Formats: sequence, C-alpha cells, structure tokens
Amino acid sequence: MSRERPPLPDGLVAFVKRDCPTCELVAPVLAQVAAQQGVTVYTQDDPAFPAGLSPEDDTSLERSWHWEIESVPTLLRVRQGAETARLEGWQRQEWEAFTGASGLGPDLPDWRPGCGSLSVDPSLEAALRVRFSGSKLHARRVEVASLEDEMEALFARGWTDGLPVVPPTESRVLSMLEGTTRDPQEVVAVVAPDLVPCTVEKVAINAVLAGCKPEYLPVVLAAVEAVCTDAFNIHGVLATTMGVGPIIVVNGPIRRALGMNSGINVLGQGNRANASIGRALQLVIRNVGGGRPGEVDRATYGNPGKLGFCFAEDEEASPWEPLSVSLGAAPGTNTVTVFAGEGPRNILDQLAREPEPLCRSMAACLGSVHHPKIVMGMDCMLVVGPEHARIFREAGWSRQQVIERIRELTARRGAELMRGADEMAEGLPLPEEARDAMLPKFREGIPLLVHAGGGAGLFSAIIGGWLTGAEGSLPVVQEIAA
Amino acid sequence: MVEIEDRGLPTVYVATTEFIDGGVAQAKALGANPAAIFVHHPIQDRTDEEMREIARDALSQVLTNLVSD
Amino acid sequence: MSESRILLDPTSERQPGNRPRAPRLATVSGKTIGLLDISKPRGDIFLDTLEAGLTERGATVVRYRKPTFAKPAPVDLRHEIATQCDAVVEALAD
Repeated sequence: MSRERPPLPDGLVAFVKRDCPTCELVAPVLAQVAAQQGVTVYTQDDPAFPAGLSPEDDTSLERSWHWEIESVPTLLRVRQGAETARLEGWQRQEWEAFTGASGLGPDLPDWRPGCGSLSVDPSLEAALRVRFSGSKLHARRVEVASLEDEMEALFARGWTDGLPVVPPTESRVLSMLEGTTRDPQEVVAVVAPDLVPCTVEKVAINAVLAGCKPEYLPVVLAAVEAVCTDAFNIHGVLATTMGVGPIIVVNGPIRRALGMNSGINVLGQGNRANASIGRALQLVIRNVGGGRPGEVDRATYGNPGKLGFCFAEDEEASPWEPLSVSLGAAPGTNTVTVFAGEGPRNILDQLAREPEPLCRSMAACLGSVHHPKIVMGMDCMLVVGPEHARIFREAGWSRQQVIERIRELTARRGAELMRGADEMAEGLPLPEEARDAMLPKFREGIPLLVHAGGGAGLFSAIIGGWLTGAEGSLPVVQEIAA
Repeated sequence: MVEIEDRGLPTVYVATTEFIDGGVAQAKALGANPAAIFVHHPIQDRTDEEMREIARDALSQVLTNLVSD
Repeated sequence: MSESRILLDPTSERQPGNRPRAPRLATVSGKTIGLLDISKPRGDIFLDTLEAGLTERGATVVRYRKPTFAKPAPVDLRHEIATQCDAVVEALAD
C-alpha cells in the first residue's frame, strides 16, 4: 500500500457503502446523475453496490482513507486531480445545486443524514493507519515470537531500564509522531557514546516505551537536542563514576498544557508528564546512544533520578524570572534547561523570616556539596521552595542578590581548604601563599535557582552537580519546537 | 535452555534429527537462535559401543559451538 | 500474525534485533561445563562419553538432570547451573 494519495478521476466522484440506508436511498439519484453527466462511484464494502453503476472497489479503503472520507454518501467534485468541493449525506437542494441537475430523487424525502465512513470506523482505524502510513516508519521491525510474552520480550531484548516499558507497535509510534510537525526522518542529534544519528522517529519509539503521550514528544525532542550539545557533554556525564544524570527543567506555557507538576512532590513520582518525559530521555541515551550501566556508564552509585528526572518550574508564584530567562531565553517561550545533577537533599530552615539568616542556612548546607573542602570545580542547583521564596520576595531580593550572597557565604579561606587541613586528606593542592585567599565554593551564577515545591514546608532542595566548564558539563537551554 | 543462555552462559543443545522441528522451533518461538547439533535418529537401538562412537563425533561439534573462533 | 506482535526497534540497530546468543568461551580448558541430562534411559552412555572428552581437554564437568523429561528445567536447577558453570551442554533429546 502506498503512502502516496491515489488519484481520483476528474468530474463527480461518490463514496458509498451498501450497509448505509442513505446510500441505498440515493442509489437511484446516482443513476440519474450518471446518465446526465457521469459519476465515478467508489464502494467501501460490497463491490456490487450500487448495481448498474459499475462501482469501483474501495474495500481496501485506500482511497477513502487518503481522501479523508468521513461519512457516506460523500459527493466530490474533482478538477485536475484536486478536490474543489464536497457534500455529505442527502439533501435534494444541495445535490441539485452541486450537480447543476434538477428533479433529483423525486420520490425521496428532502433530506437524510449519512452514515459513518468505514475509513473512520474506530475498530479499523489503528490498522488502517499502519497500513497507509506505516511506510513512513523506517525503523527495523522486530517480531515478537509466537510463544513470547509481549512484556517479557522487551526485557529479553534489553530495551528497558529495568522497569516494564510500553510495547512500541507501529500504531503507537504513528500516534506518537502526531505530537510533532517535524519529519520523522529528521536527525535530531548525534547521541553519545556510540555517536548514533538519532531521528525524530527513534525518539518517538523511545517516548512510546517510556509511557509518554504524543503531546509530550516535543519536550523530549528538545531534551535530546540539549543533552547532545558539546556544552552539556552527555558522554562525560554518562562515563563518570559520579552519580549524575541529565535533569530537565521545563519553562513556558507548555507546563500547563501538559499538566506538568511544579508543586507537591515535584521531585518525586506520580505525574505522568514529569515521569515519562524524563524516562524517555534516559531510554534514548540507553537504546540509541548505547549508554548503559556497567558498560560506558561507570557510576559508583548513580541515583534514582537516572530512571528519569524532569520537572516544571513554578513560574506563577516565583519571586524571579523563569530559570530559562535568567539563562538567556526570551520570556514566554517554551524551553527545557538540562543540568547534570545527582539526587536531591533537603535544606530545613523553619525559623528564618528574613533573607540574610535564610541565606546563611542555605550556605551552611550548600558548603558540603560533594565535600566541604572541594570548591570551584562543580556546579549546583538549588530548588527554592515557595515558603522560602516568599521570604526573598517580601524583602525584594532578586535572583542575582540571592546567588551572590550565597557565594559570599560559602567562600572559605585557603588554609581551611588545603589538603590535610582539619586532618582531612581531601582538599585543594594550594600553595602556602594562598592560605589567606578567600575561595568561593561556586562559580558566578551558581547555584542555579529554580522555584518549585509544595506550598507548605519551609524547605528547599540542593541538587549537586558535576564538573563545570569545558571538561565537564554546562547547563543548556533549548527551545521546544512543535 | 533459552533461560540459561539469557543469563550469559553459552549453551549447546544436542538432539536427534527427530527434534530439528521440535526443540529448536520452540526456542525460535521465544525469539532465540540457540546453538544446536543433531545426531542421526534413532539412537535407542544402538549398541553401547556405537553410542560412544556417535558421542565422540558429536563432541567435536559441541566444542565448535562452545568455543569462539 | 496480530499487528501488535510487530514492534519498532528503539535502538541504534547496530545489534541483532532478537535475543542474542551469549558469547562463546575462549577455550574449555579450566572451565566448568555443565552437562544437563535431558535424555531417555541409555542417554548416560552418550553423556559419559562427552564428559570424558571434555575432561580430557581440561574442563571440569558437572552433571545435572531435569526432574521430569517433559517439562522445562525448574528455576532452582537453572539457577544452580547458571551460578556453578561457565557453559552448558544439554543432551540428548531423542
């Protein structure tokens, strides 16, 4: 079956089916029209109907499908291969105006509605879509063997992250591809470590595995593009013994459209969009890129977020501009920001009511990220909870002010950071001259502040990052394209 | 058999030619493609010495299928 | 064949699509080879000969038997074999 639309002859064209009282009703009208000016009739079920009109056989529904016939009878006018007008059902005045004839169906009622076209019958729709659109899918077909359990088959082939995945049938993948306007064969990114060119179609297949809805696909595509940039360095993030993985923060109106969570339990389970978008990205890395634990992925511990880690920023109640805008994106755009991070840990401060004491608590907790004596090398994200954010909002502290105060408070004297200081072997190899220098824990702009969390709870969350800069990973913002 | 191969152990299946359709087909129905060698059917009516001879022949094929080139 | 039994490959397609065979051994010498008896009576002569041949080539052979001929090996037996051996020969189905 071709995905090309089969042509229709010029002139009047009708689509009917025998199993339709209105089509039976208008059969004599079609005979009248045929006698006067000719009409080509396509039949969806019984090729012998209507008798005497030499109907064309469209029992495969190929023409009905490609010409989007929704009800029968449908009458089309075709000029130079293109449809110029159509009408549906039976209504004498309409048919007479359409055909230019008069006295049509004198014994018929004035009007009668049509029936559903077989090509839109819900029980046939999935199979028809695969039959007529399936050739736009280029991925290798893998047949589940006759005795195999469908779900076990996916585990056996190594396509899962240890949890069951949704079997990626042609029908499901075609549905998923409806979520984007991009061509299925467009190459989205070259995915490390195997450096595989990854198409929109391959991302869609993994999005099906992950349990995404079609409308989530553009977010997954943007995340794949973002992590495959040199700046983010997914190969490094994957190959490190540190337990980091890509974390996706979504900004823009798309958060609401997809029903994403930015509130209670935002970093946990339960929201389909959050969970499946994060998971789809990890499955692409695994299945397309070839990045698997024990192979290129050598993480000592990993973290539970490597099953998938994606959440939406709560922009509406935030004291500040969205994270994406702070990193250079235009306000109001839909974006993903990807950050190489580990699992979250809590900052508890239930007593501060002013920004300064709150910053001091945050700094005290942030200082120990990875190790208190390791500074400047790694990035960090701070998820500021709404009850903490309110303190900053009421005092009028900007994002920049909060970050700068935290950087000041997390700076340490070289003497404290030297290897061996405090009888801890770890630390920085500093020369004696650096003993009194104040060294900041984080580079400028870090920690990245994101506003999210449940409305009750005087907490914020630290998400430690990985090596920053050209040798490590940098946060990347990518616009979400439809 | 398929389950043991799935756990990472190379497996070789020895059957009489009667089983070409049976056992291997069952494995194929599970999506696997096992290493299998066949000895001529029937085997039950052979003398002990004939059995040993057949087994020595089979051994070389077993080794070929257990060991990579 | 039902439409739902055909799946699209989510991988880079650089490996075969179905259950891959486990990698073969480099040699049988020094390895533990399990011999799983799936035969009718007198199959042990066949297996004894295989055992002798493998032992001659430096392998350690461990013998196992399925409790019933017809049904697949139970989970415990498969686990025992998988943890004790480097490779398995199942013989002789006749």
